[in-house]
Amino acid sequence: MGKKYDIVVVGAGNAGLSAALHCAVEGKKVLLIEQHNLPGGCATSFRRGRFEFEPSLHELCDIGSAEDPAEIRQMMMDYGVEVDWHEVPDCFRIISKYSDGTPMDVSMPFGIDNFIDKMEYYVPGSRAKMEEYFDLLREIMAGTAYISESNGHADSNVLKERFPNLLRTGAYPVSKVWKAMNMPQKCCDIMSTYWGYLGVDMDHMAFIHYCNMFMKYVSRAAYIPAHTSHEISNAMVERLRELGGDIWYNCRAEEFLFDGDTLCGVRTSCGEVSCDYALANINPDIIYAKMMPKELIPEREKKLSAARGHNYSARMITVYVGLNKTAEELGIKDYCIFFADTSDSTKEYKNILGGYETNNFNIFLCNNIVNPDCSPAGTSMGFFTSMGSREEWSDLSPEDYTAFKNKYAKKFIRTLKERAGIDIEPYIEEICVASPWTFARYLGVPEGAVYGYETSDWDAMMARMMMLDADYPIKGLRPIGAAGPRGDGYSSAYVCGRLMARLAIRDLKEEGR
Amino acid sequence: MAVNVKIGLIGALDMLKFKNMAKVREQAIKAAPAKEITADYAINNSARALHPDFQELIVDKVIDHGSAGAKTFLMRSKDGGPLAYFRAGQYLSLKLKIGESSLSRPYSISSSPKDALNGVVSVTVRANPGGFAAGYMLDELKEGDEVLSSGPQGNFYYEELRDCKNVVALAGGSGITPFLSMAQAIADGTEDFDLTILVGSRTKDQILFGDELDFIADKCDKVHVVHVLSDEEAEGFEHGFITAELIKKYAKEPYSVFVCGPEAMYSFLKGELDKLGLPRKNIRCEMLGVTKKIAEAEGFPADAKGKEFNIKVIQGTREYDIKASSEEPILVAVERAGITAPSRCRSGECGWCRSKVLSGTYFAPPENENRRWADVRWDYIHPCATFPTSDMVIEVPAEYTPKKSIQCL
Repeated sequence: MGKKYDIVVVGAGNAGLSAALHCAVEGKKVLLIEQHNLPGGCATSFRRGRFEFEPSLHELCDIGSAEDPAEIRQMMMDYGVEVDWHEVPDCFRIISKYSDGTPMDVSMPFGIDNFIDKMEYYVPGSRAKMEEYFDLLREIMAGTAYISESNGHADSNVLKERFPNLLRTGAYPVSKVWKAMNMPQKCCDIMSTYWGYLGVDMDHMAFIHYCNMFMKYVSRAAYIPAHTSHEISNAMVERLRELGGDIWYNCRAEEFLFDGDTLCGVRTSCGEVSCDYALANINPDIIYAKMMPKELIPEREKKLSAARGHNYSARMITVYVGLNKTAEELGIKDYCIFFADTSDSTKEYKNILGGYETNNFNIFLCNNIVNPDCSPAGTSMGFFTSMGSREEWSDLSPEDYTAFKNKYAKKFIRTLKERAGIDIEPYIEEICVASPWTFARYLGVPEGAVYGYETSDWDAMMARMMMLDADYPIKGLRPIGAAGPRGDGYSSAYVCGRLMARLAIRDLKEEGR
Repeated sequence: MAVNVKIGLIGALDMLKFKNMAKVREQAIKAAPAKEITADYAINNSARALHPDFQELIVDKVIDHGSAGAKTFLMRSKDGGPLAYFRAGQYLSLKLKIGESSLSRPYSISSSPKDALNGVVSVTVRANPGGFAAGYMLDELKEGDEVLSSGPQGNFYYEELRDCKNVVALAGGSGITPFLSMAQAIADGTEDFDLTILVGSRTKDQILFGDELDFIADKCDKVHVVHVLSDEEAEGFEHGFITAELIKKYAKEPYSVFVCGPEAMYSFLKGELDKLGLPRKNIRCEMLGVTKKIAEAEGFPADAKGKEFNIKVIQGTREYDIKASSEEPILVAVERAGITAPSRCRSGECGWCRSKVLSGTYFAPPENENRRWADVRWDYIHPCATFPTSDMVIEVPAEYTPKKSIQCL
């Protein structure tokens, strides 16, 4: 067998980069292998004509200011990674309908006080309830931070004493908690806006998961890098190199190799590499079905896979546009506008899963609002994001593929014109439509579902976190990434990568390796 | 931080339920059957079929275009199955082994996308003086030979969301091939736009695909062909070069212009296109490759002219010491040394050859500069369009082949 490493990380997506960096910082000899010729997975960029497009990042909620760094900024600082973060101006604008059917065009600011003030403006009389609500969110944030730090071994007495409302709300979906609080419906409608970022509706999304994200956005604002998420990924790779880590591109993991029941190496398209541990940014079903000996797969893992039943979250559709007019000329003022038929997330999710005819959901964002110089003088750029159903993208033939994805693009462009009065159609200099096929191609994720398994009901994030040591009990191998315990999203993937790297290092220590 | 505040009716929610989350999850898992785990997904299979890592082809037939100085290679899939569907105008990157060199060349697909579904695809190669790969293709490649190709690549195609419904194609030499594919796609209903092709040739008998184009134009009212002869005057043919006046004469407003041809044609057309005053979005040029006269390029360091440098190429755990001319792209030196390196467009555009510079200086001509911001920032290059201006150390990734890629360990 070839060169020996302590840890091989498979897949240089967000979780893989974070895991590799953590291992390298801890002094481990690390090899990061990546099947593409670029790092980052969806945290990358691509060029068309004179534009460089951001493929996926809307905004990162875990950055915080330089003076008061939040988790991800702090993590990058710990890794020694420098990124030029730019602050996003507002939470969001949403153009939709309240669940009672009345029209909704709402813009919400960052900052808890600002948010409460603006909510009072849209929903008079909501102030007291919103203040109470943010108190609850503060407690939940502190409680989840405690649980996270405990690596799956939280002390229930501490929880009961310090975070009782976390225990009370923790097992319930968002809508149930709001109902128990008597939250005014219009406030619920407005605060549901971010549901698409997690890909689960408010009737199935765990309250603590959602409110964690919501609170991070509102209280710490959101940021994007100055030069697309490829800047983050490249900066992370650069740091990994400085720390003595290796990275091989165009190198595909084919099989995990075992000595008895313990991992001893990885067979790759570039040859075999021996190692003590592998962290795989790969969906566990793919690892089990195609990349390791069947006899080493425990019964419970088969049951876990069956229980999930390929219940993947959102399959993304994104449309990137490079425009030959400035944002100002086009009348684009908001960084991010959510378009939906209803703010009732359960109905909206159903509409989305119903396919093209019923799906009128999309998020449009314009990068120039945050980074005026991200495209050449006189131009602007942005992208639309929506989700698709499994069926419509499974049953599609290659001949019909372009026409079908363009149908979605036309719908998004029309929606922007009709609902926000922004007409970009005559000014499209470059356009590119990515579908679940595209995400399946570049990320290798099942069905192009970038968010991994739906973090809903019994399989919610907190329940997964409580069972960190029960899931995936293969010696020397742990899956990381969107299908992991933390679920989807940039922040979650970075945190998951570090968490799993910590566990790997712990495992190695305990096993005396 | 607020501790144990009583919030509304939340007190009625069940704390035990939180404690039981793990138990509930375990029960859900236990209740499921211990089935064999599968990982076969329709969406992923479709994506792979549309964007294969490579395609194994067999030359089925070689058509000699005689005085036009070109050959068309009709190829079929080795396994008899369908080939990747594509957008008319895209190219294949063919992997060639010529002597000690492992190299690639991009060729526009001249057949229709529909043919690919029947496992058939064709490319056309025209002789060019001193052309290393073209010479090999024309002289050596014959029926029954196996050819390894990429999946369909490139962004030179009609896009309804961006382009005008009327497209004026300006073609020179083998630059006609993407437009032949587009014309066929319009004729068979795959594409829907109005295509007017102005094709430049020296003389009547050097016209490439003249009969095929006329045949399509006769039966399809959305395809129009105008032959422009530079060295011959003949009835029914335009004479001279493709000029702004000529474009205006045949174009239906509003229109987009698509350009594909040799380097000299681009230089001439630049001035003509400026006269038309079209917005940038209405002009789309197929990639040109890299200029053969880099030493004359603006910004090329005078002291690097005519030099030979040493480059250390690191690939996985292997290292190679190679020689490289300052006036040839780094990729060419890598290929000449027999190293299998990734490459596709060979114009600096696609980034498939993206490599890391560990030390040394280089020149990347601005007209081929298509790197990402963060790649420029951290010294990544596209070796197909980058020239060494000192000794260098670079890291070049491996490339997949059907034979399990190279062993770089």
